[in-house]
Amino acid sequence: MLRDAVLVAGKDLRIEMRSRVGLNQVGPFAIAVLLLFGLALGPDRRELAPASAGLFWVAVLLSTILAVQRSYAIESADAARDGLRLSGLDPAGIFLGKAGAVAAQLLVLEAALTVGVALLYGTHLSGAVVLVAACAVGTVGLSAVGTLYGVVASGLRTRETLLPLLFLPVVAPVLLAATKAWDAAIAGTPGRADSWLDVLVVFAVLYLAIGTVAFGPLLEDE
Amino acid sequence: MNGYVEAGYVVILGTLATYAVSLVARERAVRRRVGAESGKDGAHVAGGLGATPPAVDDPGTST
Amino acid sequence: MSTSKPSMPSSRAVVATQALGVAAITTVAATVWLGLVVTPPDEFMGNLVRLLYVHPPMAWVAFLAYGVSALASLLYLWPRTRAEHFDRLAGASAEVGVVFTGLTLVSGSIWGRPTWGAWWVWDPLLTTTALLFVLYLGYLAVRRVPGEFQARARRSAIVALVAFVDVPIVYLSVEWWRSLHQAPTVLNPTTHKTYVHGSMAWTLLLGFVAFTLVYIWLVAHRYRLAELQDLEDTAGLEMALAERRSEGMA
Repeated sequence: MLRDAVLVAGKDLRIEMRSRVGLNQVGPFAIAVLLLFGLALGPDRRELAPASAGLFWVAVLLSTILAVQRSYAIESADAARDGLRLSGLDPAGIFLGKAGAVAAQLLVLEAALTVGVALLYGTHLSGAVVLVAACAVGTVGLSAVGTLYGVVASGLRTRETLLPLLFLPVVAPVLLAATKAWDAAIAGTPGRADSWLDVLVVFAVLYLAIGTVAFGPLLEDE
Repeated sequence: MNGYVEAGYVVILGTLATYAVSLVARERAVRRRVGAESGKDGAHVAGGLGATPPAVDDPGTST
Repeated sequence: MSTSKPSMPSSRAVVATQALGVAAITTVAATVWLGLVVTPPDEFMGNLVRLLYVHPPMAWVAFLAYGVSALASLLYLWPRTRAEHFDRLAGASAEVGVVFTGLTLVSGSIWGRPTWGAWWVWDPLLTTTALLFVLYLGYLAVRRVPGEFQARARRSAIVALVAFVDVPIVYLSVEWWRSLHQAPTVLNPTTHKTYVHGSMAWTLLLGFVAFTLVYIWLVAHRYRLAELQDLEDTAGLEMALAERRSEGMA
């Protein structure tokens, strides 16, 4: 299973490196979101800085949707999806591979967004360990749910609007917990982030498990 | 103060009653249509509605 | 998989649902009468307490409906219990549930306005209910996408379970989130902690029973409607096949 996962993840990431859609489109999208938030909440950094954790994570959530849609868009070319299904690869491995590729791209994006937030909102980043931990674990959860719902939506005609509708409510706890963890870190009290990191871990483990099990049957249905 | 209580009860009871009525109405409409069809094709199809469902997958419009 | 062939309802089932309907209407009427007329106003909330007899029952049914939907979805996915009727039940319960969830939010808002001065507060239960509402709508949207029955049923069931599992996590997160801000000691109407005694307690209990009966009646009819629609599709398909056959033979 893990070998298949690495295989699929490698394939997805290689496609990304060749096409650079993540770099050219998802990245700028995320930056645009940060800019728009800045415009919406006013030029006064004293109002923006306290909100920066939440705004950061909302931007990440929205970018996840795009990344997942891209992850499945590359399959629909040249009946690649049927190829995937018939390839004999373990479906659980395919799930982990695709989710892993999405997660990897998101982590790169988050690094860029962190710089963006510090720059645009004047956030004083501290508690780096917590910041990174929240990003790592939160991203795993987001990728798992996204990849799972992605396969549900991918075969359907209404996939563009269905995926966000399904995805966003379910990952609300990730938004909450990650934002609070970041707030604690930024406020200089990283210890208080512990319970929030726990929530992120539980969420990630839970949805990785569900995704691994449910992906196979869903792939069959396409 | 009282206006809120009345509003609450009215909204709840009204919505539930409307939903219930709409369900019954939709049910009656479908039942009528099904009855008409079974009368029509009774001559052609042996067994009519009692026949085993077709092997073809039917795209259910029901929820 | 066992196919529960859609068929016209047995007369026993019809009588049962009619009796259920009568029971539901009676208990609701009794609740309304007791709630609005008989019970006394609360010492703190005055007449607003009368919403206690209807709002918590709405929330209870909303979550009950969701639980039923999730359980039916699980039974559908489990190979040994897979059956069409579980998929139909999940869908019926979800649609009724979305109505009650909406009513929970509206009644909570109506109660909140005079109590807290705002049409909305980020109360844990209310916020979780709002997310539940959107989760339901997503589930119903997935059900509406046309496709082969088994595929549709399976992906709907998985979506239902993914969302169901999320609800406790949502609730706990929101509760912690709220507690961080040391919310004022506000009377949370959905977990009403003031003394509910005597006639108030009985009316509240009756409210729960009454609206649960309403829920069951509504689900029964929504389920029946789904069955009839499947029957209609089957009959229509058979007619088309018969016509095709007779054309071939002509």
